[in-house]
Amino acid sequence: MAFLEITGLSKSFKDHKVINDLSIGIEKGEFLAVFGPSGCGKTVFLRLIAGMMPADSGEIDIDGQSVVDANPEDRDIGMAFQNYALYPHMTAFDNIASPLRSRHVTAAEVDARVKETARMLRIDHVLDHLPKALSQGQKQRTALARSLVGRPSVVLLDDPLRNVDAKIRYEMRFELPRVLRRYESTVIYVTQDYKEAMALGDRVAVLVDGAFGQAAAPHEIYDSPSTIRIARLFGDPPINLLPVRPITGAAGTEMSVAGSTVRLPADRAALSGRECMFGIRSENVVVSLEPNNGIPMTLDAITPVNNRLVMLLGGNEGTELFASCPQGGPMDRLRGRHNAWITLDLAHAHFFDNGNGARI
Amino acid sequence: MNGKSVLRAVALTLIGLFFLFPLFWVVLMSFMTNADILRNPPSPFFTPTLHNYTALVSGNLGTNVGTQKIDYMLNLFNSTVLSGFSVILSLILGVPAAYAFARYKFRLGEDMAFTLLSFRFAPPLLVLLPLLMYFQSIGLYDTYFGLVWVYQLITLPLVLWIVRGYFEDVSEDIELAYRLDGHSWLRTFFRISIPLARPGIAAAALLSFIFAWNNFIFALILGSSGVQPVTVGALAFVTASGIEYGQIAAALVFSIMPTLVLAVFTQRYLVEGLSLGAIKG
Amino acid sequence: MSNSGVASMNARSALKRRRARMANLLPYLLSMPALLACIGILVPFGTAVFYSLERYNLAFPSTRGFIWFANYISLFSDGSFWRTILVSMTYTVLTVGLELLLGLGIALLLWRRSLVTNLLSVALILPLMVAPAIASLMWKLMTNANFGILSYFVSLLGVHDFKWASAPQSAMFTVVLVDMWVYTPFISILLLAGLRGLPRQPFEAAELDGVPGSFVFFRIMLPMLLPYILTAGLFRMLDSIQQFDIIYSMTQGGPGDTLMVFQVQAYTQAFIFTNIGRASAILMVLWIITYALSNVFVKNWLRLRERARGQA
Repeated sequence: MAFLEITGLSKSFKDHKVINDLSIGIEKGEFLAVFGPSGCGKTVFLRLIAGMMPADSGEIDIDGQSVVDANPEDRDIGMAFQNYALYPHMTAFDNIASPLRSRHVTAAEVDARVKETARMLRIDHVLDHLPKALSQGQKQRTALARSLVGRPSVVLLDDPLRNVDAKIRYEMRFELPRVLRRYESTVIYVTQDYKEAMALGDRVAVLVDGAFGQAAAPHEIYDSPSTIRIARLFGDPPINLLPVRPITGAAGTEMSVAGSTVRLPADRAALSGRECMFGIRSENVVVSLEPNNGIPMTLDAITPVNNRLVMLLGGNEGTELFASCPQGGPMDRLRGRHNAWITLDLAHAHFFDNGNGARI
Repeated sequence: MNGKSVLRAVALTLIGLFFLFPLFWVVLMSFMTNADILRNPPSPFFTPTLHNYTALVSGNLGTNVGTQKIDYMLNLFNSTVLSGFSVILSLILGVPAAYAFARYKFRLGEDMAFTLLSFRFAPPLLVLLPLLMYFQSIGLYDTYFGLVWVYQLITLPLVLWIVRGYFEDVSEDIELAYRLDGHSWLRTFFRISIPLARPGIAAAALLSFIFAWNNFIFALILGSSGVQPVTVGALAFVTASGIEYGQIAAALVFSIMPTLVLAVFTQRYLVEGLSLGAIKG
Repeated sequence: MSNSGVASMNARSALKRRRARMANLLPYLLSMPALLACIGILVPFGTAVFYSLERYNLAFPSTRGFIWFANYISLFSDGSFWRTILVSMTYTVLTVGLELLLGLGIALLLWRRSLVTNLLSVALILPLMVAPAIASLMWKLMTNANFGILSYFVSLLGVHDFKWASAPQSAMFTVVLVDMWVYTPFISILLLAGLRGLPRQPFEAAELDGVPGSFVFFRIMLPMLLPYILTAGLFRMLDSIQQFDIIYSMTQGGPGDTLMVFQVQAYTQAFIFTNIGRASAILMVLWIITYALSNVFVKNWLRLRERARGQA
């Protein structure tokens, strides 16, 4: 059994099943990033683990002990909320000390541990302030300190960087893992930002339809998404998806893209005759302005985004593709429409079943 | 100065006069001797005397045919006891109940809220007549105990009504955070929920005290000279024959002083409680 | 699954069921006092209904018995009960109407914040805090024929020997005046809170467009204030129709039966004529009226609550 083992968790609100038979095992010290589109039930998931509401069915075990029926105070869980949930009538010091004070820790030890955690999060100079006198970043760090100081078995972080301005969010991307590693905490981190999930998590668990459609290392989810939906959730611009029907003939396995024939590697021969969805990410679409034996298309628009160049291409049969490449190349100054020739990096090709969207 | 602002000033003055003059006058009368009061035409110039108040406190009241023993101080004491204990009881009973109504949506709760709300506007005498019969048969007539329980019909709905709204505004996340820190539900209720709802609890306590103090009909029907509060005692006072008018005025001043003083010092809470209680509920 | 596995699973579900039941009990435990209060109201209420259907006179205990609706029939065929209804309606219409008008006027005057209006706002709470029974006594002193300061003022205006509450013609006027003194501040506090919560933009826009003041008042402000006006009005209506304290303290319903409103009439029936059955019938009729009115009120108030929450 894993350190935090969740089996068959379900919760409904008024006939709507928000969490549907969700199972996952999380190892001790692991940082699990939970990602999903808004409204998918991430908050309900965290609250079920915290014990704020009873689950309809399922088991939650921490270190071998069942906690699914336990009160929140008996679960040894620390939680940092999106809106901080600091006690407005207590100083930052008292806020952070609260988990220690419930456990009969001596005053001297409380003082030492609170100050140590505060120092690590760089809020030791505002410990005597009330929450209303703290900045957003300081409030968030106080909430974090409170969730960690008791060294709980499991730490739940509910999108803590959401309500914080961009600069602090950037800093915390580095600090957070550092602090959490110091405490050797087992962490569940919920976020709406896939880039954040991929940057912070040892594993990323994608919450769709009330359960984890896939839980794997970030690069694995990015390179081998298990369903079309998951593939779509990751990547800017979104993954290109085209319906195709590969045929294996004398020349090998081939499929038609934008009116041109594309040769597939031999290991794809099994797809022959099958209607499916072909997916390729924009960075795996290579654009050349010189004629080559790639697919002829027209370059309709080109925009710099972050530090990449995103191109929109149109082709025969109304096909549209996104391509992207790093800035600083020959395409930087390009404007207007151009003829272009496209090569697809088929090492990164994805094929999905048309019916259930599963990866082939 | 244009006509509009003159009109405004006149209006404000008239309003101020209308509402404040009676209070001013009754206080003035309480410092006048009987002779000064009866003087015709009345004069604002007179020598003030404390005689009315000392007579009231000592219980020996001068009339035009000698002295009468009336213990108005007992009425004051009764009012304090009745209002004070009613409010305390209502807080003890009502604050947890208000929490239950705020946090949990349960059928019985909605039914109870509806019953209490709809009976808040029912004529008191309807319930008081049968209560009188019951009280007389079980010996609760003219007792503090009986009246404090019946006063709950005034104070408890008020506490429930106002405090529920304030509990609804306390974030459930904060309560959950405190429980995750390792504290029990009870500890959370006392250390987090109640302190954060304190303004509402204070407003409810204040308003309940005032409403209880000002109540007339409950004590009139279910009490007699033993537990008479100032509202009923004042009427008896006024209709007793031959009491000096200055002493009547002094008695009235004693009767309204506590609530007026409370009102002045807590008027912010009061206005908030009254208007938000009526609207926010 | 092993035996111990099954056993522990059974133990777990038993524990889960017990925990779930206890959690469900908590709200009921907490609200027990409210439940007791409800019982405390409903039991005497039921008894009162019962009384109203009985011939029950304390002076003639042997005649006590069930007579169904005879009390009600005798009430409605008795002229004095119709008089009670008329007096109560008159009192209610006068007090609510005048208090709404005056209260609105005061709220408008106090809208603009200044030292004077702030002071007046505090001062205005005071009459509201005086017990209505005592307010009535204060006014009784002030309107005394011999030494009442108000009688004196009125005589300066040329009206001599104004009898205030002692005469049938002026008794209603006097008690309405006392009611206004006590309760107008309630209306103006409520309306002032409403005014201060109104959005500024419509008024600023009207000013820019040069809209005349009367239009702004009648077509913009009043409709926006309507929920508050209705709330305040209904509140007062429910109180006025069952007014007891003020009238009882002033004249006990007199002179004669000039001021016999519902509850004072019921009191007289119960304690002077010892006719409990008849008194209960009068109170039941009053209750039906207030129940109907308060239903209108509660529905309206719930709607206003949502709107206030939306605006806030």
